[in-house]
Amino acid sequence: MATVKEEDSITEKILAIAKKNPKGISDKDISAAFPELSPADRVTAINALLQQGSFDLYNQGGALIYRLKAASSKQAVKGADNEEKVVYNLIEEAENKGIWIRDIRRRSNLAMTQLNKVLKSLESKKLIKAVKCVNASKKKVYMLYNLEPDRSISGGAWYQDQEFESEFVDILNRQCLRFLQQRADKIKNNPRGPIFGRTQSYATAAEVQKYIADLGISKITLDVEDVITILNTLVYDGKAESSVYPDGSRVYRAIESLIPAPGLVQVPCGVCPLVYNCCPTGLVNPQDCSYMTEWLE
Amino acid sequence: MSHQLGSLVSEILNRHFGEIVQKVGDDLFSFGARPVAAIAKTTEIPRIKVVESLRTLLKYDLVTFEPSKNEVVADYKIVPDNILLLMRYPRYLLQIKSKHGSEAEMIVEEVLQRGCVTATNLLVTLARKYKDDREKNISIVSLKDMFISLATAGYLQQAAVAEVKEGEGGEVPTMVAVATIVPELDARTLVLAMNEGAEVTDNIYWKVNFDRFHQDFRDEIMIDAMTRRIDENAGELMRHLLMQVYLNTPPWAASSTPVPALQLKESARRGATERPLLAQFVDHYLRVMEENGCGFVRRSGDASGGQFVVQMQRAAKETVYALLEHTVNERLGSNAARIFRLIRDKKYIEEEDIRKHAMVPNKECKELTYKLMEHHFISVQPMRKAASGGGLVKAIYLYYINLHETAHTARELCYRACHNGLRRAAAARRAHARLLDKQRRVRSVVHSMRVREDPQQHIARVEETITPPERQLIQSVEKQLKQLSTAEIELDKALFILHWYFMYKDN
Ligand code: SF4
Repeated sequence: MATVKEEDSITEKILAIAKKNPKGISDKDISAAFPELSPADRVTAINALLQQGSFDLYNQGGALIYRLKAASSKQAVKGADNEEKVVYNLIEEAENKGIWIRDIRRRSNLAMTQLNKVLKSLESKKLIKAVKCVNASKKKVYMLYNLEPDRSISGGAWYQDQEFESEFVDILNRQCLRFLQQRADKIKNNPRGPIFGRTQSYATAAEVQKYIADLGISKITLDVEDVITILNTLVYDGKAESSVYPDGSRVYRAIESLIPAPGLVQVPCGVCPLVYNCCPTGLVNPQDCSYMTEWLE
Repeated sequence: MSHQLGSLVSEILNRHFGEIVQKVGDDLFSFGARPVAAIAKTTEIPRIKVVESLRTLLKYDLVTFEPSKNEVVADYKIVPDNILLLMRYPRYLLQIKSKHGSEAEMIVEEVLQRGCVTATNLLVTLARKYKDDREKNISIVSLKDMFISLATAGYLQQAAVAEVKEGEGGEVPTMVAVATIVPELDARTLVLAMNEGAEVTDNIYWKVNFDRFHQDFRDEIMIDAMTRRIDENAGELMRHLLMQVYLNTPPWAASSTPVPALQLKESARRGATERPLLAQFVDHYLRVMEENGCGFVRRSGDASGGQFVVQMQRAAKETVYALLEHTVNERLGSNAARIFRLIRDKKYIEEEDIRKHAMVPNKECKELTYKLMEHHFISVQPMRKAASGGGLVKAIYLYYINLHETAHTARELCYRACHNGLRRAAAARRAHARLLDKQRRVRSVVHSMRVREDPQQHIARVEETITPPERQLIQSVEKQLKQLSTAEIELDKALFILHWYFMYKDN
């Protein structure tokens, strides 16, 4: 027999299959999509699902068909008390944006201790889950167990377990720049004129997305929106400019700063953290400053 | 005028004119306009020395004077901006040399050194100086022609003349600017003056017109920027445009008088052999420059094939931003520069949104934003949200860039860096004064021996008085000094950009 944990994953997989086929699935469909499942395990899993009320059972032409119940019609809180039902409904309403515990309390008029108990019990039944919100690390929101949190909650592609992956962003930033730079020179001395050259040096977000996908550096698939976010960081880095084509799609082009590094940043004082404490008569002074000495070596 | 500027000015005066002039300058800087007696009193320098210093400073336009209240004595006032220009002298020479050749350089150098000088005097001195120099082969006639073309091009101008107002009882003259009239110089009189020292009455004084050079520098910046952003052809087109602008617009107008595209096409066609692509695609280049050129150029009308305006003020602003972005980047790192640019782009932005767009981890983002504030690169504006329903009033903080202030910060930073560099150089010179002095003496002895054509042996013996370790030390000190003066020139370029920006009052 499968352990409890495995059982969970089996039921999840079956649910996933069922989700893909809203018309319903038969035993055959399940074993086709999920061949390593033994018949015995399948039966237990399906029974559990039927018990939970996730499936409706139909008889179609002699074969048994399981169909996923519409979420709202699910009697998820079977055997639960009224409080649980109210809370469950509130959470369900919030969909994948989730709902904050304070809002639940306000709207359900439950006392904090009681609400906590209810939430615990729903959580232990795997009906709901608590998700940490990326832009407020202390804030937790509740949503139905089988939902994928909204971008605004999970942070989308840039977050792994609510942690911002700055390295990943940096790598993508650099790769995007490389891609743009490869064609940036097309505008220069183009024999067919600068307007043509400019078009050649532009890249659409979709092109960049394809390039990134082909590189295979990202485990998850990035959609065009994600790539635009990255391309915009390049614009804010001053390394690219963006423009809009007549058809509304954004295009990007690698550029250089208007001026080369100015004198101010070529001397130690321009980048010196002590510059505001430095004075000819002070302890930190230009006459025997070691930054200067090093630079003059 | 800031304290930083004061110490920089003081350091420059020291470098060029020595300690006494420096003290007089300091005094004028801290007390504003005042008469000789007052200067002598606070500085405790003998009156005669003070007068001497003031004369030096006046010669180079580093101080001005005006009648004091009682109209009998003059009040002297320091002009820090002109003192800063002393750092730019090498650049003026380089510029004129690359544009008009080494004869022009000689003339400008001589005028810079003397402050102001009459044409005859200038030309005769120069011609005498190089009379024996066969290599350069300089004649007074060619010098005269060069002088005239420099005056015509506006690099030299007539100095202001002193005028005593009649009937007001005052004895203090006022300096009145005069319009420059390109002189007719008679070659024969000049040759006579040179060979026989004949007296020539010439009382028109000339000086260098820095402003004309500054226009050149500004044009170079704009041309380079277009070259970097688009390509050399665009840079060249910018040059054509600016040439027209030079003719039709006052030099520092915020934006130029429109230039017809036809004229640009014409000049591009003339340069077709060198830049065939530009000649072929003038229209395309104009369009790309308008759309991707940071707003340096704007189409102002469609009459006769299009009219184009150069937006100088806009260009100054963009260039200053580029300078600031570099500065933030080097001082606080690339993520800070990203935030800086983001704030510029959004004009006013909340902290929350900065994080979202900049894609920088939460904590770092906060830290950098505060650092940017601390260094006065950005500013913050608290706003009260209208009390919504619950009566919870939440203040939001909007970050923005006050370009004027930020540019000010950068300028102060430049002053500091310049000042420190000068200090360092002075310290190095002082520390090795004995050695540098020795070297100078040896050099001059060797030089005169060479002229006398003394035997090589003797010369070698004199040269050997500098021991190898000494020579090494000298070399390293000289290298350091050179590096410091290069840095000074580079810093001055940054100051120029900032100065250009501050020139437009309504930024
Ligand atoms: S002299 Fe040295 S300590 Fe002073 S500001 Fe420059 S680098 Fe910094």
